Amino acid sequence: MNDKKIRVLMSKPGIDGHWRGGIVVSRAIRDAGMELIFGGFQNVQEIVEAAIQEDVDIIGLSIHSGAHFAYTQEIIDLLKEKGVFDDIMILLGGVIPAKDFPKLREMGVANVYGPGTLTKDIIEFIRNNIKK
Amino acid sequence: MKKNYDINALITKFKNNDKIALARLITIIENEPDKAHEIFQHFEDIKHDSYIIGITGSPGVGKSTLTGAICKKLLDEGKRIGIICVDPTSPFSGGAFLGDRIRMTNISLHPNVFMRSLASRGYKGGISRAVFDISLLYEAFGMDLIIIETVGVGQAEFDIYNLVYSVVVILVPGYGDAIQMQKAGIIEIGDIYDINKKDLGGEDIAVQIEMMLDDSTFQSGWRPPVCMTDAISGEGVNDLVQNIMDHKEHLELSEAINEKKKNRFRYKIKELVYSKIDKIISESFLNEKEIEEIITHAIDDGKFRIYHTILTKFEDVNFEIKKR
Repeated sequence: MNDKKIRVLMSKPGIDGHWRGGIVVSRAIRDAGMELIFGGFQNVQEIVEAAIQEDVDIIGLSIHSGAHFAYTQEIIDLLKEKGVFDDIMILLGGVIPAKDFPKLREMGVANVYGPGTLTKDIIEFIRNNIKK
Repeated sequence: MKKNYDINALITKFKNNDKIALARLITIIENEPDKAHEIFQHFEDIKHDSYIIGITGSPGVGKSTLTGAICKKLLDEGKRIGIICVDPTSPFSGGAFLGDRIRMTNISLHPNVFMRSLASRGYKGGISRAVFDISLLYEAFGMDLIIIETVGVGQAEFDIYNLVYSVVVILVPGYGDAIQMQKAGIIEIGDIYDINKKDLGGEDIAVQIEMMLDDSTFQSGWRPPVCMTDAISGEGVNDLVQNIMDHKEHLELSEAINEKKKNRFRYKIKELVYSKIDKIISESFLNEKEIEEIITHAIDDGKFRIYHTILTKFEDVNFEIKKR
């Protein structure tokens, strides 16, 4: 009897009040049959600790503050320090300029989603890249 | 991207107090219950001395916030705590939105706490199938206390009663009148009652509970206390924790704890036996497809005849299970 589910942590690093995007994507992930842990506002340490304890496959970051480089780098560094960076995929969403996408991918983010993204594209990307 | 789920390697790390290993063993147990034996054979000498507390109540009464507040107090006292929080799995998509951790962010970085969110994955009774096994893992990890938070329950989901030593039933102002209090089910399983959101009132609910308790008998000699809390401000939480600890002391001094421990295992063993029987039945002579055929046949045969159809249908089934 096997019942493997894709587990996703959805988090908002730092403080910006734009919750809607994170909620909409979380709901789409739930409706796609995955288990979504809603972390809400969390600092970098809290995100990494939650990802470890919940043994998630994906960390989804919703950032609308313009601080996407700083937060993402800190999270990646801490995941590496804990030895789990290779085990967890990072997806980034929010108000992020398209010109920043390549650098974010280079840093280790699997994909970046700006305004207007269709949730089905996110789900499809997850399904294609996480095999369970 | 391939995580390492090698059991022997994880057990070695687990025994060195590694939270990553604990998290992954939980995943194995949740996804592949058939591997439980392979894991637990490494812990046969572990004593079952963690104290296990259950938190239950309807959706939105503040179970998670209160769990966080209770933990904060107990962490301050130096306890090691394992938390299990269950939220429902969607019957439509099979997915889940787990929103318990967000209520406990303030304790989430404490080195002496480990918290895992679970989806119920179709299991009934207000918990998930994996809850018992995870509590065993927490015991092996050396937790002093284990707190199990149920899904938001209605009236008849009270499996938690069989899995823990102290049950905290949480209610909120506006819960119901004296008739509601007389009903069987969730309202009678509390070892401690708590009216949360006391900033909105609720004194009348506390009185109703006390009156319900006046009509009850307590063979164990423990009359459940009624507390009032505001989980967000923390008001009343010390009193609630004290009452839980008093109940613990009561169970330990009266040795009723031994019966509770036995009951926990009885519950799990029964579940394991029944799930084995289910498996044998579905594999040997009644799989999903055959059940569907019976349903189609019974409906076609006329709805007033369903009892008759089922009876005759089963006369044809050979229920003999061959012994090995």
